[in-house]
Amino acid sequence: MTDHPGVPLPKPVFDPDLLSRCISCGFCLPACPTYAETGDEASSPRGRINLMRALQNGDLAPDDPTLKEQSSQCLGCRACEPVCPAGVEYGQLLEQWRDHQWRGRRMPVLARALMLAAGRRVPFRLLGRLRGTPRTTVVETSALASGGASLMLGCFERVLFPRVGRAALALVPGLTVPASQSCCGALHAHNGDTATGERLAHRMGEDLPGTIVTTSGGCAAHLASVLGRARVRELSDHLATGSAYRPLGELRVDGRRARVALQDSCHLRNGLGVRTAPRDLLAEIAHYVELPSAGTCCGAAGTYSLLRPRESRRILTTKIDEVEAAGVDFVAAVNPGCLRQLRTGLRRRRSQVKAVHLAELLLMAGESRFPVA
Amino acid sequence: MHATARAALRSVVGPGHFRETDGELVPYSRDATPLFQARPDAVVFPADTAEVGAVLDIATRYAVPVIPRGAGSNLCAATVASRGGIVLVLTRLNRILEIAPAELLARVQPGVTSATLAEAASRDGLLWAPDPGSRTVATVGGTIATNAGGLRGLKYGVTRDYVLGLEAVLPTGEVIRTGGRLHKDVAGYDLTRLLTGSEGTLAVITEATLALRPAPTTTGTGIAYFSDLAAAGRAVTAIIAAGILPATLEFLDRSCIRAVEDFARLGLRTDAGALLLFGDDGESDAVAHALERMSDVCTAHHALDVTTAAEVAQAEALLAARRCALPALSRLGELTILEDATVPRPRIAEMVDRIDAIGARHGVTIATFGHAGDGNLHPTCVVKSQDDTDTVTRAERAFAEIFAAAIDLGGTITGEHGVGAAKLPYLSTQLGADQIDLLRRLKTAFDPAGILNPGKLGS
Ligand SMILES: Cc1cc2nc3c(=O)[nH]c(=O)nc-3n(C[C@H](O)[C@H](O)[C@H](O)COP(=O)(O)OP(=O)(O)OC[C@H]3O[C@@H](n4cnc5c(N)ncnc54)[C@H](O)[C@@H]3O)c2cc1C
Ligand code: SF4
Ligand code: SF4
Repeated sequence: MTDHPGVPLPKPVFDPDLLSRCISCGFCLPACPTYAETGDEASSPRGRINLMRALQNGDLAPDDPTLKEQSSQCLGCRACEPVCPAGVEYGQLLEQWRDHQWRGRRMPVLARALMLAAGRRVPFRLLGRLRGTPRTTVVETSALASGGASLMLGCFERVLFPRVGRAALALVPGLTVPASQSCCGALHAHNGDTATGERLAHRMGEDLPGTIVTTSGGCAAHLASVLGRARVRELSDHLATGSAYRPLGELRVDGRRARVALQDSCHLRNGLGVRTAPRDLLAEIAHYVELPSAGTCCGAAGTYSLLRPRESRRILTTKIDEVEAAGVDFVAAVNPGCLRQLRTGLRRRRSQVKAVHLAELLLMAGESRFPVA
Repeated sequence: MHATARAALRSVVGPGHFRETDGELVPYSRDATPLFQARPDAVVFPADTAEVGAVLDIATRYAVPVIPRGAGSNLCAATVASRGGIVLVLTRLNRILEIAPAELLARVQPGVTSATLAEAASRDGLLWAPDPGSRTVATVGGTIATNAGGLRGLKYGVTRDYVLGLEAVLPTGEVIRTGGRLHKDVAGYDLTRLLTGSEGTLAVITEATLALRPAPTTTGTGIAYFSDLAAAGRAVTAIIAAGILPATLEFLDRSCIRAVEDFARLGLRTDAGALLLFGDDGESDAVAHALERMSDVCTAHHALDVTTAAEVAQAEALLAARRCALPALSRLGELTILEDATVPRPRIAEMVDRIDAIGARHGVTIATFGHAGDGNLHPTCVVKSQDDTDTVTRAERAFAEIFAAAIDLGGTITGEHGVGAAKLPYLSTQLGADQIDLLRRLKTAFDPAGILNPGKLGS
């Protein structure tokens, strides 16, 4: 046995209160996708927390390869949070870990490039405009005071899936869409830049009046962690509980009620505890089918699919197997990352199943028309 | 550890199943026991019995300790590498080899979790009875090696009542098979029972043949609230004295109720001083009758409120919430120290009173929950700050007195969590010098080189 004197780091990486919460009971092990994959404690929540402690206490050298590997192998899906009886806020710990681990040059190049792009306003807005993003409105200060709700467009979503924002607006016509909005900072917070993550979230809070409604579960959870739960609503949550909206119509395929599954957004489910809202909405317009792993990460996990493509693809393969076996017509997403990931997987498989954002499905049912894509 | 030993280990299990760098070893430096931690020299994940044998062979040759490990959920520092060495993780041996309904048995590898086995058995209409709170993670190997109890102990007993036979690798390399598929077999010393609860100090279990029961058709659960834990304890004694032997009698005191409610949000009454969870299973008439009788006894013993959960889902939720008591308590502070004192059933209320008095005398708050029907209490001290050495010392003193009180009432220092490294210093008080000596001779007979989990039971 080697002796580890343990010289604590000059500045603590982690909030000590968060770190001491974990009692190593192991209840979180069965919930963790990366532990299921490797069977190694190091890739489990409990193991990672022990690694964090070793880093904090100086029991491990800051450049230890396992620290680096595990801070990036973790999906950040937070499936370990709702199952933890001790209430360990793993998502916060991971952000603090990556902030330390990926500081400066150690940040993955791809993550850095994405964050640079997302932090800017102009290019995205132009791109979005070309592909038909919802028209932005000029917000008057009276709207701010009236406490109405506004729609956040999402930096990547408005470019990749402009229809989602339009569908949301059609469902909730009263939403204001302020022109000046950029990235909410989730991308930064999850990739080792918590300061920018917070700053951007605050900026979003200033740009968007009233309740911020978003079609992205991941953005909702990040904004809520900075601005407070009361300011932020993910769309399905808003539709089901925060507005007068009632689902209309029915989704039909081949003359029958369509079969629809859902892929949860990890941060929406595990961070904000929103589980029933999207299911209830879908059940109103179609035959809802629960996938066995609906609540488990699809492998998109923010930048994970770009940074760790092999692992991401492995997780996705299992997911697509399940979607295929479920015999559904659609799989609904409530987060743009999941939508992109599912589409990639289904396309690769030449599947008949279509991945569509919940907002679009609701709109299709209401208008009783079907997607072409 | 010698470089050639490392190379030999690596070639036995394959490089993908061998760990040796600092960072790789950190997650295997502790289990669920607070305050105990030591870094091993290597971690190996063998695939089968042969690889386990080969690892033990290398360890003997190089005189390196071997620490068998399942899920590492034990609460007595039984898997901490206090003298370094090789942590032998058995989770890759995770197959259910056979479920034989006609013989009411299962044959499994040690890395299967208790919950997985229970689920598989239930598909055949059978029950895997041992039910530790940690069932979703705890492996069958670890459950046998700690002779774990659980939430059904009163009616169903503990793990040792279900182990029919074992395959185990001795530290000297031989593979033995004890017992077997027979429900009766008296050929030889009962080595199956000796290995059950041996905490990885005598042999490595690589396969187990386990008794199953027909699954009960109905399960019912009720809750009674009391003004304090001793009152709940008196009701428990009265229930058993009335000749009722239910599956479950679990209790929680006020702090535990609050912590659990904070997590599970089931609408438990947080103003009550104690909660008693009672439950039974079997034919529906019998269950209903048992629940009614228990409700009556509770009412007669001044329960503030008694309800029974009609729905299975709610009964399951209540049990699940009870299983979370320990980790939920850790919400209250940085350090959670837990004990496992067990007394004869009629003395539960008395033990509860003594724990309260001891806590008050040392100025520490002790929250208590436990398997009341088994006389098994888990007094738990939550310390706000880890650096508060004064409180930690006072808690330690209080716990020493709690041990003494348990023994004084004809009980034990550990009902189910085991000895490991954590309780070893107190073992001789309980067993006496002659028995300790015999334990050591037994240990030497199995493990002459002393490589298997040294510093624990039998050392
Ligand atoms: C929240 C919580 C609740 C708990 N509730 C209960 C409860 O209700 N009742 C109860 O009795 N316990 C309980 N425990 C304690 C513990 O979970 C059980 O003892 C469990 O059965 C241990 O299983 P494991 O796989 O984690 O074993 P580990 O912790 O990995 O190992 C335990 C011991 O078994 C040995 N071992 C493991 N596998 C083998 C093998 N294949 N061959 C030989 N030796 C082996 C180890 O060396 C060690 O000595 C609880 C623990 C927690 C954290
Ligand atoms: S994170 Fe929570 S569930 Fe996991 S080991 Fe720690 S306390 Fe237990
Ligand atoms: S965030 Fe997800 S991948 Fe990371 S430790 Fe928790 S459950 Fe595992």
